[in-house]
Amino acid sequence: MTPTPPKRFHGQDNEMDRFDRAGLRRFTARDALIAVGIGVVVLILAAGNSIRKAGNEMRDGIGRDAVLAVGRPSASIAAALPVQHVAHVMTGWIKPNPLISGPGGFTATAATGVGQAIPPVTPDAFNPTAIGAPAPPRQKLHTLLVTGDSMSEPLDQDLAQILDPDGVNVIQDPHIGTGISTTVLVNWGQLAAYQVRHDHPNAIVIFIGANDGYSMPGPGGRQVNCCSVEWATIYAQRVRQMMNTYRQDGVARVYWLTLPTPRDPARAQISLVVNAAIKVAAEPWQDQIRVIDTVPVFTPDNRYRDSMPVNGEPTIVRESDGIHLNDAGSEVAAKLVLGFVDKDFTR
Amino acid sequence: MLFPTVQFAIFFPIVLALSWALMSRPALWKPFIIIASYVFYASASPVFCLLLAGVTLWNAGAAQLIHRSTDERTRAWICRVAVAGNLLNLGVFDYYTFFASAVAHALNALGLGMPLPLLTVALPVGISFYTFQAISYTVDVKRGLIAPARLIDTTLYLSFFPHLVAGPIVRAREFLPQLERPRDPNKVAVSSGLTLIGLGLIKKVVIADYLGRTIVDPVFGVPQAYHAPDVLLAGYAYAAQIYCDFSGYTDIAIGLALLMGFVFPKNFNSPYRATGFRDFWRRWHMTLSRFLRDYLYIPLGGNRGSRLFTYRNLMITMLLGGLWHGAAWTFVLWGGYHGFGLMLDHMFGDRIRLPTWLKRVIMFHLVVLGWVMFRAESLTLTWQFLSRLASWGAPTLWNWRVLAAIAAAIVPQLLPQQPMQALQDWLGRIRPVVLAPAVAVLILFIAATVPSDGVPPFIYFRF
Repeated sequence: MTPTPPKRFHGQDNEMDRFDRAGLRRFTARDALIAVGIGVVVLILAAGNSIRKAGNEMRDGIGRDAVLAVGRPSASIAAALPVQHVAHVMTGWIKPNPLISGPGGFTATAATGVGQAIPPVTPDAFNPTAIGAPAPPRQKLHTLLVTGDSMSEPLDQDLAQILDPDGVNVIQDPHIGTGISTTVLVNWGQLAAYQVRHDHPNAIVIFIGANDGYSMPGPGGRQVNCCSVEWATIYAQRVRQMMNTYRQDGVARVYWLTLPTPRDPARAQISLVVNAAIKVAAEPWQDQIRVIDTVPVFTPDNRYRDSMPVNGEPTIVRESDGIHLNDAGSEVAAKLVLGFVDKDFTR
Repeated sequence: MLFPTVQFAIFFPIVLALSWALMSRPALWKPFIIIASYVFYASASPVFCLLLAGVTLWNAGAAQLIHRSTDERTRAWICRVAVAGNLLNLGVFDYYTFFASAVAHALNALGLGMPLPLLTVALPVGISFYTFQAISYTVDVKRGLIAPARLIDTTLYLSFFPHLVAGPIVRAREFLPQLERPRDPNKVAVSSGLTLIGLGLIKKVVIADYLGRTIVDPVFGVPQAYHAPDVLLAGYAYAAQIYCDFSGYTDIAIGLALLMGFVFPKNFNSPYRATGFRDFWRRWHMTLSRFLRDYLYIPLGGNRGSRLFTYRNLMITMLLGGLWHGAAWTFVLWGGYHGFGLMLDHMFGDRIRLPTWLKRVIMFHLVVLGWVMFRAESLTLTWQFLSRLASWGAPTLWNWRVLAAIAAAIVPQLLPQQPMQALQDWLGRIRPVVLAPAVAVLILFIAATVPSDGVPPFIYFRF
């Protein structure tokens, strides 16, 4: 049967013939393939190394293998010819990120043991309030740097909204997709040094680790895979290096949040190790580094949950990816952080 | 897989070459494109492929049942059930969390328990877009505008990767006829496709992302940290950002489809040239506007009744259109605002005598006001943002780059359209062998503007 079309039919609202009308469908499929081929060749010659770099940034899997299968030979071809250098010179001035270079990069591999040597204990290892000693006078909070990976969003906004009316300069500096265990996108050792040089914060809130789990170079340059004790040791060494940079010889206070347990069991295993490494890393400077453990708050006993009571009301606190905190969860985290900040600073 | 990524830059040339190689043999070409599209979709999450396949089977089955039935009432019922199934599916994934939270809060206030578990539900990328296309297919079969397609064609229609995740919303009656016979390899708009891809990348990466990270995100995140000049600038910047982000995506999608021999409908037509709300919705996200008109506003009764009846239908359509963008009160407010604007436009639009340029200026600012509601993460932040417009202080974010980016997004829309179209057509006539290296060099410059964090997802991927 052929039902009658409805009276109201807007058939001429799509301009499907616009390319025909203008006579633009005048080329052939061969032209299309040649054009795309030319584009591919130009990109390989001028940015072959970027293809390999993009592959290195990806997590293990077929996608990464495919990109690296193209990226490795592309990088070799690009390196053998001068085009990439010329392209780099031509486009270098556009780069949006400040050049983060100088000291502080993760270079040293972690020691695998200290043998008979006894690590020295310094007064910095004690938080006075934790042992009943008089607390140092609180200072005025001038500049708070909130940084990390995507976990630090929207925590940074929440803290800025709360602290801005008090005249605190809140610097929001998230670096999405980065991790401490990978230096491909950002070397957090260098970045921490740059942030301190550039922003002079007297307090730093850092929430990072959601992307971690990459293999890292260990002793002798061999790759150490997650999540062995050796991997945790190297990770803790990197975290400790960053903590040392951020604390600025004891002038600043650092608030380092552990990761709430994610939904995915594989990721949960990584976050368990990351959190343990953070706690170990902070031990020499408990006077200046506050590890804010989010696990008891959001995921007691490391059990993932989407919702929890907030102000007596059941509330969803996680994003649908099972990793990040949503707006409500972030507000909870912000209050948690401020509880620690207010013990050290006035505002 | 995002369009402006290395993964896609590897994926597309391979698919394009094989697509044209197999084009003359539909029995091979169709399964190949379906597999390629599912691979493209699986890069977001393989599990969601099952959902896409389920939606396809559901609508293909419904269309067949509708076609076989001779009783109009039965046909109507099958159509209703099919559409309800689509909306239920969309509702579970898109709105469950919003709905369950709202119910839980309401019942908790009354001291009652929670009837629904409070869970976060992962949102499958592009679910709104392919669901709407599926609805258009089933309803058009019911209306007799198209015959039901073979399953393989329906599958291809719903999964075709250039429009899969963020539109444009291509009607079945626009796409399926293009599958009837192989695309003509001697009629390909290659240079138009390359031009659109280049233009889309500039809009997305150079303008939208730049404005997002330098102005929009900081000011909308903490409006009280800024004074009126910066807040005003952020409003304009977001108008530029969302246009460049979404129309940039659409340009790339249309360009990719053109290289493969397909034509998609137009989705934007210089929206900031609009002189009224009606005009705006004829120019902004045109494929959504006409979907809402054809499958919601007209079935509600459209303007076939009293004025009050028309206004009611306009308001319902726009409120649901707002909610389509996401489960948040800010979107409802934005939809209601546009519904109200359309009502006023219907009431007084034809009676107001003002110069066209002044109408454009007024409408642009009304649209920007709507975007503030759309962008703010809560109603509180919407109010904070707007109230900061009354707080005068020194501008801190104004610089020539920002102003140039905003101007680059908006000014071309205000210029006479004929020369702009002529320029685009001229580019579309350049020999591809000449244009391709230029576009490749352009891409190198565009890539150089990408920060170390990479390219953020398109705004409309969330919807």
